[in-house]
Amino acid sequence: MELRPLLLAVFLVLAMGAVSANAARVVWSGLVIAENVPQPAPIPPELTKLEQTLKDLFGYNQFEVIGQSDKTLKTGQEDWLANSKYFGLHVDARGENDAGYTLSLKLYKENDVLLETDANLSKSSPLVIKGPQVGSGQLLLVLVVKDDEVVRRRRHAEPANPITAGWYRLRRIIHNVLP
Amino acid sequence: MKTFEEKWTAWLDGQLSGKELTEFEASLPDLAAAEAEKRDALKLGAFLKEQLAAQALSNEEFFSHQLHERIAHDTRDRHRSTSTWWTIPRLVWSGATALALFVITTVVLMSQHPAGEQSEYLTQILNSRVDPAANPNATIYIFESKNDNKVTVLWTEGLQTLPADYAAK
Repeated sequence: MELRPLLLAVFLVLAMGAVSANAARVVWSGLVIAENVPQPAPIPPELTKLEQTLKDLFGYNQFEVIGQSDKTLKTGQEDWLANSKYFGLHVDARGENDAGYTLSLKLYKENDVLLETDANLSKSSPLVIKGPQVGSGQLLLVLVVKDDEVVRRRRHAEPANPITAGWYRLRRIIHNVLP
Repeated sequence: MKTFEEKWTAWLDGQLSGKELTEFEASLPDLAAAEAEKRDALKLGAFLKEQLAAQALSNEEFFSHQLHERIAHDTRDRHRSTSTWWTIPRLVWSGATALALFVITTVVLMSQHPAGEQSEYLTQILNSRVDPAANPNATIYIFESKNDNKVTVLWTEGLQTLPADYAAK
């Protein structure tokens, strides 16, 4: 008799975890000029987590955002544009999957398409594209999936769902252990 | 030289014989009364012997019964203190069940992520193209950063260099 409320509670916890896991996300897309300057400006906040990786990869000491877009994805089918004066990055989201979003990217230089690519952008793995050399610097395209602000606030207010967190941790461990 | 009491006791016990018996019985003032007293003493002796023997047997049985009760009680206690739900067969079954659950979980997890497929925790580049007319020597490489950020990098080489003006916001 006491098993039924327990099962109901477990179901509700799992359902809440599933809802929070599939909540809306924000994709940040940026056009970044990387260059070496005597006195580098602080890195933009969107790139703070990637600072060391970008420095290691490209060898520049300053990363300046010349165009950006924060797009909240609700259906996973949205498209948007991150523009600078001469460059435009058009992103066309073509659906959401377990890992993240399927995106079609086009880098424009004025009206010319410089680069096209399709990618599955993971929620936990940023994408960095090395573009053309611009003067003494380098154009970089950066795409990062961020948590939606509401989700982030709720996560700060509420502790993580231990069952779903444990489930994801277990999956990660098994994936790491088994090739 | 025996006293009269010693001879009397020996006579009652039937231990006098021969000349000693004859002399003692002759010394008695009333042989018939003495014989009657002897019979009574023998009867009393036989009765006491019988009663004492019966009582001793009864105690033995009682003691034996108590001892059996105590042994049975101790055995029950010992059996109760060592008995547990985790018997050997149940341990074996529990271990087999846990192993089966682990295998099932592993198979389920593996089937959700087929071997050889790129990890869902990394961004995947499905395809990429550079305009060959404008950048005939362009090449594209894809790799992942080696640090914790799990950055997927699409690295192009040979793209046309642009003037610094293009870095304008």
